[in-house]
Amino acid sequence: MQILIVEDEIPLMESMVSYLKMEGFKCEEATSYHAGLCSLDKYDYICMLIDLNLPDGDGLNLVKIAKQNQSNSGIIIISARNALEERVKGLELGADDYLVKPFHLSELVARVHSVARRTRSHGEEILTFGMIRVMPEERTCFVEDKQVDLTRKEHDLLLYLMSNRNRVITKESIADYLWGEYGGGYGSYDFVYTHLKNLRRKLVDAGSPDYIKNVYGVGYKFSLE
Amino acid sequence: MKLLTKTTLYIATLSMFLFFIMGIIFFQVLKNMSLSELNRELTRIQKVVDDVFPHFLGGQLSGLPGLDSISIQPASPGLVFEDQFGDTLMFDTRTHQFRTFRYLHFLADHGGSSYTVKLYKSTTPADKLVEQVTLLMTVMVILFLAGIFFLNRFIFANLWKDFFDTLDKLKQFDTVKEPLELGEPDVEEFIELKKVLERMTMRLSSDYKELQEYTDHTTHELQTPLAVIKTKTELLMQSSNLGPEEMQLIQSINSSANHLSRLNTTLALITRIENQQFIGRNKIYLVDLLDDQLEKFQELIDLREITVVRTYSDRKQTITMDQGLADIMITNLLKNAIVHNRDAGKIFLEIKNGSFGISNEGSPLYFGEKELFKRFVRDKKKTGNFGLGLSIVKKICDNYGFKISYNYKNQLHTFTILLPDNSSSF
Repeated sequence: MQILIVEDEIPLMESMVSYLKMEGFKCEEATSYHAGLCSLDKYDYICMLIDLNLPDGDGLNLVKIAKQNQSNSGIIIISARNALEERVKGLELGADDYLVKPFHLSELVARVHSVARRTRSHGEEILTFGMIRVMPEERTCFVEDKQVDLTRKEHDLLLYLMSNRNRVITKESIADYLWGEYGGGYGSYDFVYTHLKNLRRKLVDAGSPDYIKNVYGVGYKFSLE
Repeated sequence: MKLLTKTTLYIATLSMFLFFIMGIIFFQVLKNMSLSELNRELTRIQKVVDDVFPHFLGGQLSGLPGLDSISIQPASPGLVFEDQFGDTLMFDTRTHQFRTFRYLHFLADHGGSSYTVKLYKSTTPADKLVEQVTLLMTVMVILFLAGIFFLNRFIFANLWKDFFDTLDKLKQFDTVKEPLELGEPDVEEFIELKKVLERMTMRLSSDYKELQEYTDHTTHELQTPLAVIKTKTELLMQSSNLGPEEMQLIQSINSSANHLSRLNTTLALITRIENQQFIGRNKIYLVDLLDDQLEKFQELIDLREITVVRTYSDRKQTITMDQGLADIMITNLLKNAIVHNRDAGKIFLEIKNGSFGISNEGSPLYFGEKELFKRFVRDKKKTGNFGLGLSIVKKICDNYGFKISYNYKNQLHTFTILLPDNSSSF
């Protein structure tokens, strides 16, 4: 479960490493273009996080080389620039996802999980949490053997919660994850609340215990206890 | 009014007035000259008449060359008067018309008795002459005016050429593009104008570029520290030995950092629209564009039990613009229509040839309509929005020359976007 992180901002790097380690990932840190280049072939990474604005080189170049060398690693571009052209270019070069700074760590983890799933799993993968089973490819969800009908957003939300199990998640991060950087805000927190309420009701109606806990004044936590 | 029209009008009015006055004076002078010429002629004839008076009395003579008619009458004794000139109308038996005659009335003595003599001379030939000369002058004046008119146009076109060149270039001047480059005028005032304009536009361009870079850098540089604050607080939240109060403190820091970064992103977007950094030109079917974006909001629409009524009367209507901006424009309009709708309200989408409209039900604005597209104008009761969505829509419309208008009628907020002709259906 190795992840390569190429990021020149040390405090940001530290945060990412801490959070990813809590999730059980091992992190290889590179704080420059050249360090990144040296670490590219060190491990068989499940995912690489590459910052585009590095002091000694273009991150896009790194993406290109990484894609040639390790074709079965997922690549997530991290950039402070939110230019559509840059995003398109990165995705054309073979990156799997594009995350704009500043991002939520919970969102980063969800994206890493999703990219890892896409690049690593052969055949249908099943995620389980307590009584809940989710098949991300088919977009189906079961509580034990009972299928639960979820809308697209409810399904995304459930995956997000499962990726961040046992973590405190803010409603802002959920809104950003569900609607993207231009879709969030604007009363979307109310919608987060409504989606969560519906999801919770559907799961509980299907016989699952209520795993979605409110953390008063902060957000939510998806946990067994 | 155009400069040329105005100068021509000035010249025309002024010369018309002058020539009118001059014409009157000229006519009077000419008339007087011809009159005194007649008087002189009559005086000359008077002398001849004096010399040959007995022949008139005897009946051997009845006229003289240059004289049209003569009448001699015995005067009452003691009558004395000065020679006098005058005009009179008489019937001309040759032409059977009344004509004006100049006459000289005088006393002639012969053989102890006096006679009053009246010499008549027709004014018609002199009048004819005056008439012809006046006509000729008028024709000359008209020709002269026409000459002036064309000369003025010619001089104008040549003299002001540099000025109009400059004006044309100024019209096309764009702060984003190259600085203004003007030709080499040879009129001193225009040289000065060129210098002033070049200095001004140079300044404008460099200021604009600096501002652009500044905004670009600032928004970019802000994102990294914001990312650090966001991630550190998020990490802190995962710590198990914090009480609820500390958790809420951290959450409020995290939330503020989120707010700030979202604001920053949105402002950066506006700057990039203003700087015309979106260069894509895609031909997009409005029907597809609206339906795609609508699908993204479908769940929100369902949640609020909003009904969407679609009237697509022109399904072939396209819009030519950057795909990303098109998405943002429609997203913002739809979001606006959903957020400011009443519960279980309605949204009307309409695509017609050359325009599309989006309406939603809701209570009237509590600020002026003019404020609607301004930045940071928002409903303070609804949290989480900045009041930037519609100003972004306006910016995008301005960028492509679309006309956006708003009205509120029958509890319905309606935005209409008029598309320019070149992007109409094909």
